[in-house]
Amino acid sequence: MASSSSTASTEEASTSQPEKKEETKQKKEDDGEESDKESDEKMFECNICLDTAKDAVVSYCGHLFCWPCLYQWLETRPNRQSCPVCKAAISRDKCIPLYGRGGSGKDPRSKIPPRPPPTRTEQTDNGRFSWGSNEGNGGFHMSFGIGAFPFGFFASAFNFGAPGTAPAGANFMTPQQIEEQEFLSKVFIWVALIFIVWLMLA
Amino acid sequence: MSTPSERRLQKELMSMLKEPPTGMEVDTAVMEHNDLHTWHVRLTGAAGTLYEGENFKLQFKFSPKYPFDSPEVTFTGDNIPLHPHVYSNGHICLSILTDDWSPALSVQAVCLSIISMLSSSKEKKRPPDDALYVKTCSKNPKKTKWWYHDDTV
Repeated sequence: MASSSSTASTEEASTSQPEKKEETKQKKEDDGEESDKESDEKMFECNICLDTAKDAVVSYCGHLFCWPCLYQWLETRPNRQSCPVCKAAISRDKCIPLYGRGGSGKDPRSKIPPRPPPTRTEQTDNGRFSWGSNEGNGGFHMSFGIGAFPFGFFASAFNFGAPGTAPAGANFMTPQQIEEQEFLSKVFIWVALIFIVWLMLA
Repeated sequence: MSTPSERRLQKELMSMLKEPPTGMEVDTAVMEHNDLHTWHVRLTGAAGTLYEGENFKLQFKFSPKYPFDSPEVTFTGDNIPLHPHVYSNGHICLSILTDDWSPALSVQAVCLSIISMLSSSKEKKRPPDDALYVKTCSKNPKKTKWWYHDDTV
């Protein structure tokens, strides 16, 4: 809260500067020009290193950075990337390179290797029987088909992976995971068979 | 004077010495041999608040990763303000010092936040868990898992 008030005050200061500039110009031309130069330089300072922005990029929210500075910040907090100045959502693709007259004209963002693509996937909303949606995993639909209470219990009790990660993992499983799944499916088939036998005997 | 972190600290120091913001003053005596990694800043309680006229000393420690890494900020000296978010060992419970840190913040912004935090206090008292925390905490407040639950002060 306090931090936002500080940035707000600097913004206020910068917006009120033009008025001040005009006043000083009217009074003392030399002084006015000097402060003009200074504030002009500050206008194009990177918000992170406070130097004149090199390989400048500007975020959608309008804040200027050196690309190396912003890149380092985005890497520091890859999980919640936010604009250092206003905390708006920000990412590599949500900033625009600035090309002045003197620059090379190359996209500054191409200089630093792009970060690896994220592997995070959104949680899918399948309830207790999360394995049921993994088509081609074999076996489970049949044993659950009985639909009796204990199986519901087993399904939730033996569901080791988090429900969100299980479906994603189905696309590229390690051999170890496949082995575990096969082992589990065997266990469940045996449990199902024992249950059926018990039902018939009872 | 060569790393980006030192360049930025130098710039911040220059601007704070050139135009001292109200209620804060950098103590350059601590920075012997141009060591910019530890700063002491004298704070003055804002007028019209519970801390009016009181003087406090803040210590800033900067890692080489500054400004991407937040500074370690504690109150130091004899007068630790009595405030519900300030522990008697000088540690401060303030989100911008850890989770909400941003490289666009600065020593000046942190000082302003702390003055503002003091100013909004309605009661001069220590946090309820002061005794326990001070006994068990790490020396570095950044190692504490702070729980930011009170937005009112």
